[in-house]
This record gives sequence, C-alpha cells and structure tokens, in this order.
Amino acid sequence: MGGLARSVSYIKAFKQRSNTEVPTLVVDAGNLFTDDRFSADQLPAEVMTKNKWVVKGYGDFHHDAANISYNDLPYLTELFKKDGYDKRLSDYPFMDRLISANVQPTDDQHRTPIPYVIREITLKRGNPGQRLRIGIVGLTEGKPTSPTESQDVYAGYRVSDPFEAARKVLPELKQKSDFIIALAYMPLDKAQRLATENSEIDTIIGARQTSNMDEPQHFSRATITYAFNQTKYLGELRVYVKGDGTIENQLNRYVALDSVIPDDNGAEEVVTSAHTEFTNEQNQAAQASQEARPINPSPILGGDSPYVGVDTCAGCHQKEHDIWVTTRHSHAMATLEKKSEQFDNECVRCHVVGYQRGGFQTLYTTPQFANVQCEECHGPGRQHASNPGKGYGFVATPVGCMQCHKEPNDPDFNFAVYWPKIKH
Amino acid sequence: MLVIIIMVATFAVLNFGCSRSGGMDSDDRDDSISFDINDPKIKERLGDDDGYAFAIMYGADIHGSLETCG
Repeated sequence: MGGLARSVSYIKAFKQRSNTEVPTLVVDAGNLFTDDRFSADQLPAEVMTKNKWVVKGYGDFHHDAANISYNDLPYLTELFKKDGYDKRLSDYPFMDRLISANVQPTDDQHRTPIPYVIREITLKRGNPGQRLRIGIVGLTEGKPTSPTESQDVYAGYRVSDPFEAARKVLPELKQKSDFIIALAYMPLDKAQRLATENSEIDTIIGARQTSNMDEPQHFSRATITYAFNQTKYLGELRVYVKGDGTIENQLNRYVALDSVIPDDNGAEEVVTSAHTEFTNEQNQAAQASQEARPINPSPILGGDSPYVGVDTCAGCHQKEHDIWVTTRHSHAMATLEKKSEQFDNECVRCHVVGYQRGGFQTLYTTPQFANVQCEECHGPGRQHASNPGKGYGFVATPVGCMQCHKEPNDPDFNFAVYWPKIKH
Repeated sequence: MLVIIIMVATFAVLNFGCSRSGGMDSDDRDDSISFDINDPKIKERLGDDDGYAFAIMYGADIHGSLETCG
C-alpha cells in the first residue's frame, strides 16, 4: 500500500479522467523526512540519502507544498544551512516549498522557512475563467515528550506556539489569497482550536501518524480532514464552486493506493534509484560496523544478548518449532529481501527478534535473530533457557500482535483469522 | 514563405516559449499514463466525476520512505 509511484499514477489518472479541466494541488501535511537514529546533532549518512531522495522525488513530481513538522527538523538543519544553500536549492527546487509559520532557527547559520506559498489556478468549472489564489500555510506542534508536554527546541530549530503564529500570519495571507489551506501537524483537538480561532482558514489538513479515515469535520468556516499514516491512502479533497464564484462545498475521499493502481514509470525510476543508493549505503554502514566490532556468533548461550534465538528454543520445544517453520513468521526476512528492504530499519523492526532491544542489529552482525522468532512474542528467553521452568512466555493477545500488525502496516489484520495460522 | 515562417515562429513563442508565471496553469507537467483509466477497478478508485471545480490531494507521515515496507 502507498508509495510515491502509485500516488503519482493516481493523480495523473484523476486529471486525465476530467480531461485536465480540474486544477489539482498536491500537498503534504508533515513528517516527510526520517529522523531515525538522529544523535549528537547528526543524521547517519544513509538516512540523509533517504531524505535527499524525498526532496528530489516530491519536487520532480510536482508537489505544491509540504509542511515542516518536528520530525523534519534534523534534516531541515542540513537543508537550510546558509552555507551552500543556493546550490542545494538549485539541485532540489522543492526546498522552497517546505513551509512553516512557527519554526525558526536558534542560530544565524540557518535559514528561516517561508511561512506559506500561494498557488494560482484558473477554474474551468463552476465559474469558468475565475482565477483563484490558494494560500497554503504550515504549522506544527513541538516534539511530544509526554502526553501533555513537548520539546520546543529540537535539532537547532525552535517550534513556537502554532496558535500565536497562525494569528500573526493568517490576516496577511488572507489579503493575498482567496482560499486558505492550513497544513497542521497536530492532534485533532488542536486542529479544532486552530479552526475556531482563525476564521480565515477554509481547510485544515492535519496529520499525526493517524490511520483513521473519518468524515471531514466542520469548525468555524473550516473543514478539517486528516492524512492517512504513510499516505497508504491518498487524501482527495474535492472543492465545488458555484456559478458566482463562491465555494459551495468540500467533499473528502480516501483512495487506497494498493496494487490496483499501477506504478508510474517515471516515479518508479526515482524510487528505484533512491532504493539502490540507500541500500548500498546501508550495506556499507553495516559492513563497516561489523569490521569495527566483529561479533563472533559463538555459542548462543555465551553471548551478551537477552535473546537466545530459535535454535535454542527448538531444543526443548520441537513441536512448536515445527509449526513455526510453516508460518510466514519464519521467513519474514525473506519477504524484505525480495524487495531489497533488508537494511531498511523502518521495515526491519517488524521482521526480526528484539530489534533495538538487544536482539537483531543487522544481517551481518546478528543473522541468528532474523525473522519473527519465538522470543519476539514470548519475550527474551536467555534466563528461561538457562533455568527452564514455568512462568515464562505469556503472550497478551491480540495486543502483543498489534505492535506490528497495526493498521498502517496491516489494515486487514484480524486476530481470529490470523491466529489459527500460527497456533501452537 | 517568410510570412508563414514568422507566423509559425510567433505562434510557437506565444504558446511554448514563455517562462512560467509561477501559477499552476503554466506548468509543463508530464501527465501521460500507461494504463487504461476506464478499467473498472481504476474507475472504482477514481469515483464519479461529479462536477468538482478543483481538488487537493494530500498525504503525510512518509517519514523518509518513497515506498512502504514488505
């Protein structure tokens, strides 16, 4: 589900179906870049590569604007360095469509993002010939550190109060626009407050890793919709205009970007190039890490990991092991390898044992922890293996399964259907 | 012949030679597709063309991935 190549393909089909009579804007509500393994003010080289291809891909395929959310700030620090900015902008023109009204650098070495962009369209329907100026403004909450608190300074940028920023920028934008879209990276209650306090806004497109596909809500003058996590479903907001040029209605749809939608050839080339470069760099990083700290796959019980691996479990639980080898859990890594995603941490975490918990690191260093083995569900087994007994291995179902089989990853997950396939 | 050449050249400049105004209408986007939009499954995805005047496509949270896992 999802992906740039399908998204581009669908948008082209949408335009062609209406004989290109319908101007179509494409926007992103935030969390465009990964901040995976950001530490000591730096992103790893392969993570930078991943983000670089997103800037290129979104620019090449005509996205009109993207909101800067707190997750985007580590990469923004690289992109928006004043040193070399013009060269980067010339290489990646999409950079000047990254918008935020409430993100500012904490030093003078970085640029401040523009708060909004304005796109002009000419209508062919409703009131043909009418020109509309569409203002798109970006707002984000700070990086959450608890359910009620957030970190306002992150990666050299300060996230100021989005409500105050909106009050400041929207009257100015209203003078320059006929229709205002606010891209808001924040939960629904905050988006509602944004709508209530700012009557200039026509539409709020929100995001915050949500997988709900609710009907649009209406607050004040604004319609509020939320983007689907990872854009596995593409949001499509249709706007209807009366003969006198006023907005009549807005209707929202979510389009499943599944295998029904063919990949766009051009976008697929970009995705493949990104994939190849990223995989090569991941591979090199993994090899370098292996050379720097060789790990001897010595007798499993002699290692440092709290995990022991499936072979040790099978020593006593042969019957359960025999069932496991017939399940997709037992070759979960092969599923990734087919798509050369075995080095992509975003994917790997749900195809191994104990990722970032003392288990799987990389295929080079900890191949014994590849695939979804016994301990991924039952918990680290070293203690149990050295002193076997009852009291180990309880799995809280279905909650435990949903760490990975959550909706964005597996929208069709149904415990009653899936459980018999692995029952042991 | 000269008149025809000038007319053709003028037409070409007016239609294809102007720089972008920054508005969407002047974008030279490649919108060609290689599949049949009348395929029943594609039509179902596209829904009815019910007279909307413009549209906003949106997404979020790709978190650095131009493709999704698995």
